[in-house]
Amino acid sequence: MSEENKIATEATRLGLSLDVWAVITAFVLALLVRIGVLKHVPW
Amino acid sequence: MATSVAIPREDQNPFASVVRFVPGVLLLAAIGFAGKVLEQSINGYAKAHHLVIPNIEYVLWAIAIGLLIANTVTIPKIFIPGIATYEFWLKAGIVLLGARFVVGDVLKLGGISIALVVLEISGSLFLMTMLGRLFNLKPKLTSLLAVGSAVCGVSAIIAAKGAIDADDEDSSFAIAAILALGAIALVTFPLIGHALHLSDNAYGLWSGLAVDNTAEATAAGALYSDVAGKVAVLAKTTRNATIGFVVLGYAIYWASHGQAEKVKNKGAFLWEKFPKFVLGFLVISLLVSVHAFNKEQVGALANLSRWAFLLTFAGVGLRTNFREMSKQGVRPFIVGALGEVLIASLTLGLVVAANAIWKL
Repeated sequence: MSEENKIATEATRLGLSLDVWAVITAFVLALLVRIGVLKHVPW
Repeated sequence: MATSVAIPREDQNPFASVVRFVPGVLLLAAIGFAGKVLEQSINGYAKAHHLVIPNIEYVLWAIAIGLLIANTVTIPKIFIPGIATYEFWLKAGIVLLGARFVVGDVLKLGGISIALVVLEISGSLFLMTMLGRLFNLKPKLTSLLAVGSAVCGVSAIIAAKGAIDADDEDSSFAIAAILALGAIALVTFPLIGHALHLSDNAYGLWSGLAVDNTAEATAAGALYSDVAGKVAVLAKTTRNATIGFVVLGYAIYWASHGQAEKVKNKGAFLWEKFPKFVLGFLVISLLVSVHAFNKEQVGALANLSRWAFLLTFAGVGLRTNFREMSKQGVRPFIVGALGEVLIASLTLGLVVAANAIWKL
């Protein structure tokens, strides 16, 4: 089993798929930007 | 790449579970950042000394450094779990990339993408099936190669493997072929795009339609230009959204031949296979379209997306180990390569035709 698969399996074991965890993370970051906690993200 | 890292025990605490990803994620960040610094330093040096040299994007540096490490030294096991998170960063990056599309863009480019994706998937499935038969590959290996090249590379192969009850060996062959061909596409696609003077939108659409794995499609687009990168992600995301339908079709086919379990609840099957990050991307795009974020906040979200992709590109290089791939044998690779050349030609023709009609 590849490490990528192991991580996907482990994410699922926590009740949600890796996809959903990625979406939640992105939404949390978007919320932090929206409420002003993350004001400036340099590139 | 397959590695021997122990799966954590069920009773392992969540903190330890997260901590084990830290070294690898830091390595991804260090490689990605080194790529960014290299691009800026070389450009700065060329500007200061009035030299005219081609701009090599951070994307290529990050992939090249990762490739160099993966193919010259044995990566210590402590880094492996974190390196494997590159797909997580890719998906989070795609959701955040929604900030760079207003709904109108998504509808216009997404509409064109849907039409082309339908043609691309039909053509790819047909071509790969014919080539698999011609080269006498095992039928389920042919199915996996067809799904991988038609929809979304490794994710599609993994999804189809369970649904059609394919061997581990077959899925390893198919994954190795798709990854090797993705690595080749990273070099060849930008060269062809520049040679044909494709516009950013046309090139991005082509990369998203023809490059199989989402990470490589994103990188191939970003290597051409920033705009091409975001269009490639949109086209690739449209392709990814079809994964459930294609895998369901194959599951029903193999079940009707008594070689896979019957799908009991087709609706639940489709939802399970549907990539949820596509919905996340649409939600962020919708929020930006209704001005839920101001201009600075949209810029911040776009930059967060770029940082997530930076980790992804470093991961693409680090997980591409040519020695491991060569162990998988040459026949699936030849079938995959022939199929990819045909699919790339077909999709290029589609994009050129779409460009003539809709002025992309």
